[in-house]
Amino acid sequence: MGLVARAIEEVGIPTVTLSVVRTMTESLPAPRNVLVRFRLGQVFGEPGHVAQQRTILRAALAAFGSAAEAGAVIELPYRWKKEVYEES
Amino acid sequence: MARWWNRLQSVVYTRLHWINELYARAAGREVGEIPLPPLATVRSPLPEARLAVVTTAGVHLRTQEPFDMADGEGDATLRVLPTDAAPADLTITHDYYDHRAADRDINCVYPVERLRELVSRGELGSLAPRHVGMMGHLYGTQWERLNREGARRIAALFRDDAVDVALAVPG
Repeated sequence: MGLVARAIEEVGIPTVTLSVVRTMTESLPAPRNVLVRFRLGQVFGEPGHVAQQRTILRAALAAFGSAAEAGAVIELPYRWKKEVYEES
Repeated sequence: MARWWNRLQSVVYTRLHWINELYARAAGREVGEIPLPPLATVRSPLPEARLAVVTTAGVHLRTQEPFDMADGEGDATLRVLPTDAAPADLTITHDYYDHRAADRDINCVYPVERLRELVSRGELGSLAPRHVGMMGHLYGTQWERLNREGARRIAALFRDDAVDVALAVPG
C-alpha cells in the first residue's frame, strides 16, 4: 500500500493511506498515514454503521490538511466498539 | 496451499491482531529501498477536490475476472472500478483476510457510498470516474510486478483522470 501511495504522490497527487497494522505502516510508510485501531477488513468499522464509517472517513480526509511531513503517522483515537459515534 | 486453509488462517489472524504485527515485521524485512517522495502539494480544498480510491482489499466488479488465489505470491493485476458501480455489482476475492464483514457492507473497505454522501453534502468536490481495486498480500514476483509496473499504472490512470487527491485503503 505504501508502495502504491508513493507512486501516486510522485506524479503530484496527494495521498492519504489508511492502515490497521502499525508494523506494516512503519516498515514501508506511505507519504501520509492514518492508523486505525480496527480489525483487518474493517478499517472503516462495522457493516451498516454509517456514523462510524463516516467518522473514520472524515478523520482520514482531514489528514490531507494536517499531515506535516512525509512518512508521518496519524493515529486515530477511536476504539472498536467502546465509542459513541454521532450521526451527522 | 489450499484455499480453505488460507481462509481459515485469515479468520484467526483477523481476530488475533498481534499475529498481523509479527507477520508484517517479517514481511517488512524483505522490502528493498523504495524512495519516499516529498509530500505533493494539496492544491484543491476538499470541497472542490476530485478524489479517487485505490483499495488493496481485493474488490472488483462481479463481471471482472477474480484475483488469482492459486498463486501463493498473490496477484498484482489491477481492476478498474467505475465510480457509479453499485455495491451489489462489486465483490471481493481475497483469501488472506476475513472479509465477511465487507461482504455484507462493501463500505467497510471501499467507502464509496460514504464518499458519495460527502459529495452530496458539499464536503468533497467529486469522485473520479475510475477507482482501482487490487489485492494486498503480494510477494516475490508479484510484489516486483507491482513495484515495476502496477503502482505507476495506477498513478498514470489517476493523473489522466485529473484526480486531485487519492485515498488508499487496505483490506
